[in-house]
Amino acid sequence: MPSRQASARYSAFGLLRRGLTHRDWPRVWREHDLAPAYDAVIIGAGVHGLATAYYLAAKHGFTNVAVLDKAYVGGGGSGRNTAIIRSNYLTPDGVRFYDRSVKLYESLAAELNFNVMFSQRGHLTLAHNDGSLRTMRWRAEVNKLEGVDSEVIGPKEIKRLVPFMDVSPEARYPIMGALYHPPGGTIRHDAVNWGYARAADALGVQIHQNTEVIGIDVRAGQVRGVQTNRGPVSAPVVLNCTAGWASLVSAMAGVALPISTHPLQAAVTEPVKMFLRTVVVSGSLHVYVSQTDRGELVFGASTDAYPSYSMRGSLEFTEELAGHVLALMPSIAKLRLLRQWAGLCDMTPDFSPIMGITPVEGFLLDVGWGTYGFKAGPVAGETMAELIATGKTPQLIAAFDLARFAEGRLVGEKGAAAVGH
Amino acid sequence: MFQIPCPHCGLRNVAEFRHAGEQRRRPDPQTATPEEWRTYLYTQANDAGWTRETWYHRFGCRRFVGVQRHTVTNEVRPADTGPAPSVASPPAGIDAGAPDAGGGAM
Amino acid sequence: MKVPTSARRSAPPPEQICRLPVQPGELIERGQPLSFTWNGRAHTGYEGDTIASALAGSGVRIFSRSFKYHRPRGILTASGLDPGCTMQVGDEPNVRAAARRLADGMDVRPQNVWPSLRYDVGSANQLVGRFLTAGFYYKTFMKPQRLWPAYERILGGFAPGGRIPRTAEADYYDQRYAHPDVVVAGAGPAGLGAALAAAQAGARVILVEEEYELGGCLRWGDAAELALLDELRAAVDASPDIEVLVDSVVAGRYDDNWISILQRGLARVAERLIKARAKALVVAPGLIERPYVFAGNDLPGVMLGTAVRRLINLYAVRPGARAVVLSANPEGDAAVADLRRAGVEIAAVLDARRGEDVRRAVGGSGVKAVEVADGRRIECDLLVTSIGWTAPTSLLNMAGARPWYDPAAARFRPGDDLPEGVLAAGGLVGDGTVEELVAHGRAVGAAAAATAGFGAGRPPPALDVRTHPALFRASTHGMVDFTEDVSSQDILAAAAEGYDSSELVKRYTTATMGPTQGKLETVNTVAVLAEATGRRIDELGTTVWRPPYAPISLGALAGRTHEPVRHSPMQSWHEAHGAAPLIAGAWIRPDHYGDAQAEARHVREQVGIIDVTPLGKLDLRGPDVPKLLNLVYVNKWSKLEIGSVRYGVMCAEDGVVMDDGVTGRLGPERYLMSTTSSGAAAVWEHLEGWLQTEHPDWAVHIAPLTTYYASINVAGPHSRELLARITEGVDLSPDAFPYMRVRTGRIAGVDECLMWRIGFTGELSYELHVPASYGVHVWQALLERGADLGTAAFGVEAQRILRLEKGHLIVAQDTDGLTKPYEAGLGTLVKLDKDDLVGRPELVWQQQLGEQQRLVALQPEDGSIVPAEASQIVRGTAIVGRITSSRFSPTLDRSVCLGTVEVALAEPGSVVTVLLPDARRIRATVMPELAHVDPEGRRLRV
Ligand SMILES: Cc1cc2nc3c(=O)[nH]c(=O)nc-3n(C[C@H](O)[C@H](O)[C@H](O)COP(=O)(O)OP(=O)(O)OC[C@H]3O[C@@H](n4cnc5c(N)ncnc54)[C@H](O)[C@@H]3O)c2cc1C
Ligand SMILES: [Zn+2]
Repeated sequence: MPSRQASARYSAFGLLRRGLTHRDWPRVWREHDLAPAYDAVIIGAGVHGLATAYYLAAKHGFTNVAVLDKAYVGGGGSGRNTAIIRSNYLTPDGVRFYDRSVKLYESLAAELNFNVMFSQRGHLTLAHNDGSLRTMRWRAEVNKLEGVDSEVIGPKEIKRLVPFMDVSPEARYPIMGALYHPPGGTIRHDAVNWGYARAADALGVQIHQNTEVIGIDVRAGQVRGVQTNRGPVSAPVVLNCTAGWASLVSAMAGVALPISTHPLQAAVTEPVKMFLRTVVVSGSLHVYVSQTDRGELVFGASTDAYPSYSMRGSLEFTEELAGHVLALMPSIAKLRLLRQWAGLCDMTPDFSPIMGITPVEGFLLDVGWGTYGFKAGPVAGETMAELIATGKTPQLIAAFDLARFAEGRLVGEKGAAAVGH
Repeated sequence: MFQIPCPHCGLRNVAEFRHAGEQRRRPDPQTATPEEWRTYLYTQANDAGWTRETWYHRFGCRRFVGVQRHTVTNEVRPADTGPAPSVASPPAGIDAGAPDAGGGAM
Repeated sequence: MKVPTSARRSAPPPEQICRLPVQPGELIERGQPLSFTWNGRAHTGYEGDTIASALAGSGVRIFSRSFKYHRPRGILTASGLDPGCTMQVGDEPNVRAAARRLADGMDVRPQNVWPSLRYDVGSANQLVGRFLTAGFYYKTFMKPQRLWPAYERILGGFAPGGRIPRTAEADYYDQRYAHPDVVVAGAGPAGLGAALAAAQAGARVILVEEEYELGGCLRWGDAAELALLDELRAAVDASPDIEVLVDSVVAGRYDDNWISILQRGLARVAERLIKARAKALVVAPGLIERPYVFAGNDLPGVMLGTAVRRLINLYAVRPGARAVVLSANPEGDAAVADLRRAGVEIAAVLDARRGEDVRRAVGGSGVKAVEVADGRRIECDLLVTSIGWTAPTSLLNMAGARPWYDPAAARFRPGDDLPEGVLAAGGLVGDGTVEELVAHGRAVGAAAAATAGFGAGRPPPALDVRTHPALFRASTHGMVDFTEDVSSQDILAAAAEGYDSSELVKRYTTATMGPTQGKLETVNTVAVLAEATGRRIDELGTTVWRPPYAPISLGALAGRTHEPVRHSPMQSWHEAHGAAPLIAGAWIRPDHYGDAQAEARHVREQVGIIDVTPLGKLDLRGPDVPKLLNLVYVNKWSKLEIGSVRYGVMCAEDGVVMDDGVTGRLGPERYLMSTTSSGAAAVWEHLEGWLQTEHPDWAVHIAPLTTYYASINVAGPHSRELLARITEGVDLSPDAFPYMRVRTGRIAGVDECLMWRIGFTGELSYELHVPASYGVHVWQALLERGADLGTAAFGVEAQRILRLEKGHLIVAQDTDGLTKPYEAGLGTLVKLDKDDLVGRPELVWQQQLGEQQRLVALQPEDGSIVPAEASQIVRGTAIVGRITSSRFSPTLDRSVCLGTVEVALAEPGSVVTVLLPDARRIRATVMPELAHVDPEGRRLRV
């Protein structure tokens, strides 16, 4: 592994030294001309594309790789998400997969030499009726069996963790309990994207911003390369990591996907002094909230109810969000919403990703990340890199293949989604 | 809050409607191959542009109406002439509006 | 005057040493003094003051400390955007003190200070500022990983902002829908002109002004401008078609001109969100004055030209004693004139149009001197800059328009790509005298009215755009984002590191991410970035402005909560009889009346009644109903006789069980379908979907009757006897009215009641559907006439116990989002020899493949243990099944369960291991039938 110049390493000492000498840090990633050919082209410089590139280079010595993005690093969902990380899924397959990701996240700052500010502050999923309490217990039981820290707790304990929460039985949707997942938390999404980009760049990967893929060359059932706004690039392996745009990009290779793109909105308030340490999610109220280190509350909700590529956002989203947040924490009515935004989510029928091979040889997928894909960035990158480097599908992602839809083997995460009403 | 021209009620807020999916044809249930059937169940065109789709005027006339919508701008115009949409029953249970109810949360 | 109790009585309020004699346009009421506390000390001001103007009137200069370096901050813009004037007022954090009117008794405190505003410990951060460059936190604290939580807490301690109370009196917020023809955002000269012209054309107009008064910049103008303002104001007052909202803001423009307006200043309503569907929106917010970047530009005493004009003219506050003014435009020149008039000594006027410039402002807690570019050092306590403008195009951007940079005007300007119904007017578009701005507003207002269908407004004339020197940064470095403490050096450093696009630099440095959302900072950020990268401002472009235009409280967005609640007609009886509420979606139902176990036992032994009104009920009529039933249910319906009912299971097209219930045939072409309570709406839509889209030729009409009827299930061995006492016209004998039949008759004197002989509980039972308004009557009649039979009410919990004893599944509890009928033990119902059936292909394939899981009844070996629902069934650590339902059975005096297990384990008698949540492992036996009690079904057939 080519090592980065010692002086370019980030550290408190480096900050001090450069502060005294007023020398700039080197670029996080460099700019390059687009080469005519690479060993692999990755479309999409979100966390999935960048992590795959990094692990390809770092673990497999596979460095002649280009990551192409039509906009800028992290300009898609990876720079718009609410950065909740957890592994308390429902199916053993899901739990194992996301748990590996949490483990990778835990050591990522040190590995990338970039502080990604992973804050394992605990994650609460509230249950407002016996049906969802049952689902929480189901998840807790599966989690425990997989060695993941999760338990169902009652209103008293919830109040202790979140003193601002209204846990009274008189509430319109009283809180009956919650799934508490201590290792869950939040992360600085941009830092993850930039950290992977910087580390991949240092190992020789090329990152090309403002480079849009406008066509995919397929001949005799085998992918040959891509067409871009900056010219053609040939490559025997092309990986689609374009999340909300995944259908459009796959269509260029003639591969239809069971995906529909829905906007997911989020919003942030003005900062106030810290009062909420854990992440709080209420499925019944379709809202979740956490407080950043900067003091802002970050909110999210369910996706918009209809597919769309519009990222303009809606008023109704903020209205519903505010109503539901105040149902949980009535005393924060005076807090002001500062900004709302939207990103695109590639929803699949079974709330699970689509990873691996397609009928077009060499054209690979890492898509279907819906509303939950940021947390999976590291493990998806690691497994996709292994697939590209070895040609074999790792066991950890075997359940997420594209063929499962045609073969009627949907993943059971959907089970929970349907039961949770 | 964009608006949808309901052929029965006029221009109404989208909040009155439920999106019932892209218009597509239901394969013959007697002869469909698994491939065909599951393509019908799960695969959408998911185009970025003008799309033909069906909406259910849930809080209005309760009719399934066909419209054309631009999925980038959310402009909506009436489905031009032609018969009622062929199929508007996506498999129930796929409610993309509620992914976080259980395991799928953020 | 209310004297705040917290005021330190010992210290008298400071004199208002900076007040000027009466100014022509002043807003303060000198006869109305107000008292308040600042930082715990008593202060006074006047009605009409803002919090900031009152403080400035008393000579206060430091208003807050900055976020990162805790640098002292004073007044910069004297408007709602003022980054230094964010304060805690009572329990309200982040109040814009330069925009909020002073009220008597306010308790005002600075934010971000510890221990005090004057001596702030955090200001030591300034000393290490060169190491705390933007994004420094990404470069350190990586190792050791375990220490990060501690670092994080320290960083979190620096979070800016005020405090939110843990409990607060609930304020009243509400919402309103409006349907105006035209909304005008901004009531300066152009906005006033637009509103008047639109109203004259016949349009109904809502005119929205963010500040407390109409007029915008006219308010601090000269005598002629004040006279013009009076005239316009009078015309607006006289127009019945203009609704004026001051202290209100157009916060967002969404698709199809769905416009959110935040209205404040209402009596008894804290804030109101108005949602307006406007035919046209006129955006006329004027221009925002842009700060200049130089060393010391954030010292208290550095102010914008518009800020001193506001302070002097609106609040009669003298902003300093000795001033240096840097002016690049007429506004700066006017500020000089105002300062002179206010008796402020003008130490120097630097004319940027002639190349004069400042280098830095010098001082500790406030400006003491200014270093000029030519090397002079001028003592002063006030430095005023008027170096350019930002066009607040945000509302236009929300409508899809992209702003473009005009180098000649040195500002971004709105593009022409506005959608229909969105227009821009006044200073946002170009420059002109106030008369020209009014005229432009009038033309745009007429055009807006024309869009809305009133009059024939012509396209408005273009406004001239004057050239303006391009001034962003002096030769030194200073703050670009004041609230975020981001300096021009930070931007340069970020660009050098590769964060060199508008979006990346924003994200990396956090410039423009603070409370003003870039209204003051965006253009300077982009300009410094352009300088750093050698690119032009127009190449870089701005970041996307996102809604809302101004921050909106959660309270206003939420409005009053209107969460609908559904009750049965018998709810009052339940409440009066101590029912514990069960929240089931929108429905509130009686869970139990004290002792569910006893209620269940009572049903098995005597007779009970339960309110099952939420059960979905659909009336189906027409000759083709059997076709519909055959299509949507897995079983067959062609031969259902009149008077019979049948149980059915519905699947979706993917073969997954979606609902179940019974349907009865009441007449030749008349059926009643029941659905689960939670599935009622979805099933109705499902049926309509099939009828309207696939089978529009079928003659079926559906009407929802769920709440038309009150529904009561009468269950227990004495139920026939009880019903016989109050039923007329129906022969209840077992032969005449056997199991799975339906009859119509008169119950307790009420005609047209339906009786189904079915039972979820496994007992002899009858489900009564009586017209809703007679629900309580029939309910009480049953209890009264059946008193000697022991008739008692039972709740949902007892019903759940009974149904579990009987092995009846609940869809979505004993099934999940992937369960097909075969896995739920319903395989025998499925009839594939039908022409069509929703989900048919999937059912065929599953039948061929066989299922992997199956629903079975289970009994723990230790009958005293009730395994929690969702307990996993395991083999070692492998999951092989799950308990889906469990209760203690009063009938069997032991625990009973339903669960799914792998098919290999589903054989009767097989023993499985259940892992309890407390980690104990217990053994349970698979039972031969799903029913634990009366598997032969004798009890319900009597
Ligand atoms: C508001 C919101 C909140 C969310 N919250 C969470 C959360 O809390 N936790 C969580 O785990 N997940 C969350 N998610 C989901 C998560 O953000 C995504 O699943 C994840 O970021 C996907 O990453 P990606 O790398 O696959 O795609 P993206 O980050 O979306 O990257 C795709 C990239 O492809 C590029 N691209 C598209 N088309 C082309 C083309 N033709 N040529 C070149 N480039 C192209 C785009 O510019 C984009 O940069 C949230 C999403 C949103 C929108
Ligand atoms: Zn309609």
